[in-house]
Amino acid sequence: MENRLIIKFVFLLFLIAFVGFMSQRLGLNAQQVTAISIFSASVFATLLFWDFRVAIAFLGVAILLITKTVDLENMVKFASLEVILFLVAMMVLVGLLKELGLFAWLVTLILRIKNLTAKKFVFVISVLSALLACSVDEVTSIIFMVAAILEICDYFEIEPTPYIIISILATNIGSMGTVLGNPIGILIASKSGLTFEDFILKAFPMMWICLLITISLVMLWYHKSLKKLDEKIKELGANEILIRLISVPPEKQLRLGLGIFGLTLLFIALHHRLELLWKLETNTLLLSIPLISAGCVMIWKWRKAREYIEKDVDWWTLLFFLLLFAKAGTLKYTGATDVFAGRLLEAVKHSSSALTGTILWGSAIGSSILDNVVLVAAFIPVVQSFQSLSVSLKPLWWALLFGGCLGGNITLVGSTANIVALGILQKEKNIRMTFFRWFWVGLSVGIVTTCIVWVALMVLPIYR
Amino acid sequence: MKVKEIMTKDVVSVKPEDNARDAISLLFKMEISGLPVINEQGKLVGMFTEKDVLKQILPSYLEKVGRFVYEENPKSIKNKFQDLGNLSVSQLMRREVITIDEEASLCEAARIILTQKIRRIPVLDKEKKVVGIVAREDIVKSYAKEAGWRID
Repeated sequence: MENRLIIKFVFLLFLIAFVGFMSQRLGLNAQQVTAISIFSASVFATLLFWDFRVAIAFLGVAILLITKTVDLENMVKFASLEVILFLVAMMVLVGLLKELGLFAWLVTLILRIKNLTAKKFVFVISVLSALLACSVDEVTSIIFMVAAILEICDYFEIEPTPYIIISILATNIGSMGTVLGNPIGILIASKSGLTFEDFILKAFPMMWICLLITISLVMLWYHKSLKKLDEKIKELGANEILIRLISVPPEKQLRLGLGIFGLTLLFIALHHRLELLWKLETNTLLLSIPLISAGCVMIWKWRKAREYIEKDVDWWTLLFFLLLFAKAGTLKYTGATDVFAGRLLEAVKHSSSALTGTILWGSAIGSSILDNVVLVAAFIPVVQSFQSLSVSLKPLWWALLFGGCLGGNITLVGSTANIVALGILQKEKNIRMTFFRWFWVGLSVGIVTTCIVWVALMVLPIYR
Repeated sequence: MKVKEIMTKDVVSVKPEDNARDAISLLFKMEISGLPVINEQGKLVGMFTEKDVLKQILPSYLEKVGRFVYEENPKSIKNKFQDLGNLSVSQLMRREVITIDEEASLCEAARIILTQKIRRIPVLDKEKKVVGIVAREDIVKSYAKEAGWRID
């Protein structure tokens, strides 16, 4: 086991050295080569060394500082503490809602569907998966959706796999609908100056279009499974017995929690208007409102405040993000991404639509293999570099967001939601998803939805 | 006082290949909540406890959902309990076991039980073989005796 680990580390060093060598051949200077090599270590670590990725990020940042590739002040600036704090506050809020039983209550809502039919079931789980993903986050959302689907499928004694896949596909699509759906949403909003309102006007309708097309596609794809479910519903007489077994009444505390969450969403939705009214810097309130809500929650439940911070916040992932953002910022700081942006623009012959298409498909294909946060963190400084080359950045930001979320559907490791949901499926039902069982349906949905987005980005003036 | 002075020396154990259903029956019979799992070489390879049984039959996402959604037991739990008969002890047991040396002090055993939130610790000799088991009850009783309490 340990020998295998050493071989993998040697392979990692070889990959980093190769990236460094290639960068040097492309004419980059020593600092740019160091920045690219260190960033590539994080990329490879997410692919090969999941358990070591934070350790590798720690070492990488230290090397960047010691080699004077970046100074301490800029390192701290690039770490994007505002994004990390936003995610911490949202995790605290979600932790409270979980404890109050909101998600268990949502699960019962799905279990309570009246006059159940297979098509109705697919429609409800798809819409709820997407809406829940864009109002909390994709990982939290998928766990509850999977829990509900497994209960229904258990009741009707049918294979849950098609419905779990449908829910995952809808979750990834839903995660592009708002700033809250995916860490890349808040990351892009924070770097681009796009507001929640921009997301509601431009990303949310696109989410619905992609979702409705996906629902039609999966209904065709899984028509045999749907037919089987309809037969079972006829045989067992809908889910009345199941409904009678359920008992999660919305209690007073849950209603209060829902109130806090609802108000948070409302103020987040209005943040841009309020910022204009109070003459605040763009996105100041977007980032502050979750902090205010989380602060109130921790006053309300002060005895558990420490628990929310220690248990509900995924520090492992957030620390990785923090260091990753610092390393991505260094790419821009050294000018490495300016060189890359210039080359890319030459390659697409200065055509802004070809550039948008390249970013869209690049991020979609890239995020089907890589963690989309890693990919978007790498793309952001490149997109920022286009500004000095007189390219309109808006379509590029949308291309990055849509590609980064939709690409997650292409492979079974394309997004964290996929990995979490398929992990539960294997643990609960001993069903191991094969690469190709996922791939064909995932690829079809991924390509169709990315094509729709591509056309929209080319044709609709709102994205320019 | 040393651990070897208070531990239970007749250790009842199960083998990794034993049927999980039989192991659960043994737990019921012995009226205890956990057993050490010892392989043919006499090496401790895991612990089989009621907690592991619950972990197996309850949905793995339960902790994340926050609470259960049923008034009565859902069908899935009954089915999973039935399926335990097809599983071996090694498929359910916890592999990372906290142990203690027979020469360790009573205080050390108490510290481990309190900080690791466990109910019993297998006691090992120098050859790393299981020579006993010390339970939370044994420790509290020893402290009570030291304090001069009469224990029936």
